[in-house]
Amino acid sequence: MTQAPPALLRMEKVEYFFGGRIRVLGPVDLEVREGEFLSLVGPSGCGKSTLLRIAAGLLRPTAGSVWLGDKPLRGVNRRAAVVFQSFALFPWMTVVDNVAVGLEARGLGARERLKRAEKYIDLVGLSGYERAYPRELSRGMKQLVGVARALALEPELLCLDEPFSALDVLSARNIRDLVLDVWASPEVTTKTILLVTHSIEEAVEMSDRVLVFQANPGRVAETVDLSGLTRPRRADRPGVRETIDRMYGLLV
Amino acid sequence: MPAQRPRSYPVDLGLLTVLAVLALAAVFGSTYLRPYDSPELDPRAALLPIYLLRSLARMTLAYAVAVLLALATGHLAAASPVARRVILPTLDVLQSVPILGFFPAAVTVFVGVFGPSALGVEAAAVFLIFTSMFWNLAFGVYGSLITLPEELSLAATHLGLRGSLRWSRLVLPAVFPNLVYNSILSWANGWYFLIASEIIAAGPARYTLPGLGSYLSQALVTGQTDQTVMALATLLVATLALHLLVWGPLELWAERFSLGETGERPRTPRIGRVLSRSRAVRWVSRELVIPAGQAALRTGGWLMALPGRAGRPLGLAAVCLLFALAVYGVTRGYALFAARPLSAEAREIPAGLFLSFLRVAAGVLLAVVVSIPLAYAAARLGTHGRGIVLTVLQVLGSFPATAFFPLIALGMTRYGVDMDVGAVFMILTGTFLYVMFNALSGAVSIPEEMNEAATVLGLRGIAYLRRVFVPAILPRLVTGCVTAWGGAWNAIILSEYVIAGGKLYTVRGIGAILDHATYVSGDGQVVALSLAAMVTLIVIINRVFWEPLYRGVAERYKMEA
Repeated sequence: MTQAPPALLRMEKVEYFFGGRIRVLGPVDLEVREGEFLSLVGPSGCGKSTLLRIAAGLLRPTAGSVWLGDKPLRGVNRRAAVVFQSFALFPWMTVVDNVAVGLEARGLGARERLKRAEKYIDLVGLSGYERAYPRELSRGMKQLVGVARALALEPELLCLDEPFSALDVLSARNIRDLVLDVWASPEVTTKTILLVTHSIEEAVEMSDRVLVFQANPGRVAETVDLSGLTRPRRADRPGVRETIDRMYGLLV
Repeated sequence: MPAQRPRSYPVDLGLLTVLAVLALAAVFGSTYLRPYDSPELDPRAALLPIYLLRSLARMTLAYAVAVLLALATGHLAAASPVARRVILPTLDVLQSVPILGFFPAAVTVFVGVFGPSALGVEAAAVFLIFTSMFWNLAFGVYGSLITLPEELSLAATHLGLRGSLRWSRLVLPAVFPNLVYNSILSWANGWYFLIASEIIAAGPARYTLPGLGSYLSQALVTGQTDQTVMALATLLVATLALHLLVWGPLELWAERFSLGETGERPRTPRIGRVLSRSRAVRWVSRELVIPAGQAALRTGGWLMALPGRAGRPLGLAAVCLLFALAVYGVTRGYALFAARPLSAEAREIPAGLFLSFLRVAAGVLLAVVVSIPLAYAAARLGTHGRGIVLTVLQVLGSFPATAFFPLIALGMTRYGVDMDVGAVFMILTGTFLYVMFNALSGAVSIPEEMNEAATVLGLRGIAYLRRVFVPAILPRLVTGCVTAWGGAWNAIILSEYVIAGGKLYTVRGIGAILDHATYVSGDGQVVALSLAAMVTLIVIINRVFWEPLYRGVAERYKMEA
């Protein structure tokens, strides 16, 4: 048995109350290990997106603590980047400005910003669309911009919040493959991914570990280790269908 | 990178010529103006451009202050739940209060602070114009910030957009379309109140500031038809020019900041394209506007962050100030009411208030009755026709209708119409445009599919109006009525007490009581009591009638499946 890799992010007894009274989440203990692809799966309203926002430092937990390595997380998590379900692109900025604006906030010079933004726009396959506005793009292309914007921050942790659920089947397929390619690519430094999804197939296809959530209040019902399954994982590969069925059993 | 647009000297030259002419006109023309405290303006029509420039300068200053304050208060209300609980009710009451009634009090304060100097009277005028522009801007900023998609502001936080960067990349773009839309209304409102703002009465003293509003008013009162026509022509040219050169391009420019998911590539207004070819414009924007804007945003961001850091002392100071004001108000109130018995005039207030209420209700109702068929007709015109109708409405809305009240009064009595009818007609000038604007914007936003469905189902004429058109525009219509209701109370103050051709035309009503007490008897008790009565009635009716109505209508008739 090898030693588990160190935790990039750790949550201890994290709870979240909506409006201070309604318990949405917890208490939850969770670890995102360096270099892993971790998925949170569960029915809607189980607080998995809340958990992701807590990990990104966008929400403060009502109780419990969040650790980045050995330091407590305060404010926005600068080592993480988020891809949002609704893309959350700024409609008044071109593609390249959308990707570069986070770099501007981090104090990069204009030339450096442009160079890095173009690199990641190219990486997601959108070169030629730098000067387009989001409203001129299809939903799939918008989410590619969202991915490029997150990767351009060169985060240690990439948080994906239901990134495929607003897309058509084909675009979702494309971007899933892209994310897996990026994760495996030596060119990209981001090696740890946290995915929130309600699709079991998606989680089984992509992750090393899956945390199955239950609702009311949101909590981890089961941890499933998938590191034994070979990649790529299509439904016709041995073990994949069975794993999916077993997890449906856990959820229902 | 987009291709560099060719630079052009003619554009530079034209721009500099216009600026030079304006500057020369302002400098040399001003030497012909009479001082602010002379009893009347120089009536020569040749001076009209100077009067126009003066009025525009006042309005621009008031507008700039209104926009800055609206951004600050709207953002604060959206960002802080504590601030929201103070700001929103305050704005709500102040917006629904007939500001014209408070003009004399405001003037007294300003003239008290600056002395009865040109500066004091000008400041009072700018403040009065400001009060006619501010409220809807603040509500607009607040509204567009709270309806901003949550993930968008989360994304901004996540990307580290703070301070000036957050303002320039998130807040300003997000509020821009609404700000432009409301600016057009505010600016029209500024024109509407220009006359009341340029003729300043501070107690017994009366100052006529040189401006288009005061000129027009003087021309009407003295019955100089040629001067009136010239002044109106100047006004018409000015509003049209502003539409072509400022508001139209801004509206087009604002489209790029809309939150719609799909659409055309944002367009650049033609005037923007022309100006960007000028070297002078480029230099000024690069060397002056952009650095100044960034500095302003930094300061703004810093100031906005202050309540977070110094929230407690600031809140405490605000509470102390409010308390001091309350104590002052109570002592003044005691001196006014308890120290002496109610005058006969004050006993008239309930009846007057009731009669005025009937007039206001009639004014709003009539506006609705007229607007629905007009909006229906305009909606069938097609995009181009609708654009023209909207522009005409905006220009009409810019007309200082109050200037015509004497004319209306004279005309009405000449043809033997009762002044009561005349007053309602004057109120209609303050209500119709609000209702019509909203009815039209509701009519335009009826989905094409819904009209097609109506056609397929055979709904035509009255049946279409009753089953489809009116329900579809109802939420907007109610919004328009609420605004019109506020506007009508303002118009009451001017319409119940009209001096025309040296003769007084008046009807029984709270506006007449207030005006008489302000300008003739100088009875502070009656002024305070009638203002208080009017404000109380307006706020109560807002709470028990308009708000529930709006909620009910918005719930039942909103345009979502």
